[in-house]
Amino acid sequence: MMAPAVGIEWLKLRRSRLSLITLILVALGCPALTAGFMAAAAQGPADTSLAIKINAMLVGEGWTAYLGMLTQILSVTALVGAGVVVSWSFGREFSDHSLGSLFALPTSRAEIAGAKFVVLIGWTMALSGLALIAAIAFAPVAGLHMPIDAAAGSIVKVVLVGLTGGLLAFPLAFVATAARGPLPAVACLILIVVVTQVITVVGLGGWFPYAVISLWSGMGGATVAAQITPPQLLLVPLTGAIGCVATIGWWRHMQVV
Amino acid sequence: MTVAPRPSLFRVDKDGLAADGLSRSFGPEQAVVDVDLVVPPGEIHAVIGLNGAGKTTLMRLLLGMLRPDRGSAQVLGCEVKDADGKVWRRVGHMIEAPFGYPELTVVDNLQAAARLHGLSRPAARAATERQVEQLQLAHWAHRRCRALSAGNLQRLGLGCALINEPMVLVLDEPTNSLDPFGVVLIRQLLQQAARQGAAILMSSHHLDEIARTARHLHVMHGGRMVGNLDPHGVDLERAFFELILSVDQAQQESSR
Repeated sequence: MMAPAVGIEWLKLRRSRLSLITLILVALGCPALTAGFMAAAAQGPADTSLAIKINAMLVGEGWTAYLGMLTQILSVTALVGAGVVVSWSFGREFSDHSLGSLFALPTSRAEIAGAKFVVLIGWTMALSGLALIAAIAFAPVAGLHMPIDAAAGSIVKVVLVGLTGGLLAFPLAFVATAARGPLPAVACLILIVVVTQVITVVGLGGWFPYAVISLWSGMGGATVAAQITPPQLLLVPLTGAIGCVATIGWWRHMQVV
Repeated sequence: MTVAPRPSLFRVDKDGLAADGLSRSFGPEQAVVDVDLVVPPGEIHAVIGLNGAGKTTLMRLLLGMLRPDRGSAQVLGCEVKDADGKVWRRVGHMIEAPFGYPELTVVDNLQAAARLHGLSRPAARAATERQVEQLQLAHWAHRRCRALSAGNLQRLGLGCALINEPMVLVLDEPTNSLDPFGVVLIRQLLQQAARQGAAILMSSHHLDEIARTARHLHVMHGGRMVGNLDPHGVDLERAFFELILSVDQAQQESSR
């Protein structure tokens, strides 16, 4: 009975203005910003504060530097974008008082919650793919042209970072469910972003799932990125899985109070 | 000392809807207290009461949206806590808010409700066409729900509740926001469903309307079932308030 629920959740997500606007803002905005930053750094004086900051984010040259910078920006914005959509998707029935409609059905609430996660994975895949296409489209702004002269790993990293943003947002589904609405989950998202900054500054980011992807993508420099280990990266899917299992469990046993 | 088990109301009409000593509190607030109720197939029963009487909580308990503190509920002969997809496939309901996602069209919402009720794609399409025609929603069929009036949204919600041709139907204030034509339309649909064997439980504040639709009127007050009214009685409103007043007076006297 999960297939119909997936179809319905996908239709809701496709028709939602919030989901569409967030997708466009993140998937098109990040490459546009990256290309703009690179153009500004390349064309202006090298000693301005903007150029110094941008140059610190660039590892390598040409397409490698461009995709690397996009990966760094995407590591934060994909989480924020996916977090907003996840919070809305799981909190909306609570805030509009339509949760009762999802009870007393042959399709169980656990299946409906599972379907929400399935389509959210699809949404983050669309986000990654669209961001990559947009990056190619905006590349001439940064003075780059086809063919892509970068290691395949750089391209894979863009896609992976987009996907991990979705996985890391899954625990927000639990917050939206337990707190019975999307706004507490959005507040939690803001808190996560702030806490991540603090943990990264004190040097513990490698073992914090919300920081490790940014560090792996080069936000802390090439040396820190190279020191990230597979067990540290595994914290990301583990965090997503915990969020997913806890939320489905809650949906299975919850009441309309 | 052992307590003799209370005679169960269940199995009287195992294809309908039943509550047996159903109770539920929210903190110190007793929302539903020891409620017994049987709605046999083919009958329309209504629960009437003032705001906060416990009508919606009772309906939520009967549909498994809330777990009771005591007592039990049965739908189609099955304990609600044990009911599976086969049972819920034959149940329709509209509690509090109508099923209607604002970003989806009327047709999308009806099809979504049908699919969630276990109908195949072709059956869902056919059921959707039937409800659009039955509830006279053709003019708005491809309009998004955020653009619908409250009355048309209510009609859509009823269409979603009826989409699977349920054998048990639970409706909380189904005629809310409806114009007089919509009220008559819903009355006819519910009476038709009852003739086809559905057990229907509804609530309403509109006493005249509910008297025309339901065969049995149960009065709820302070979370308890306090009596029944004759839907064909002369002055239903007066009878309702007299019953409520007598219950309040009896409670005041017993608390002295």
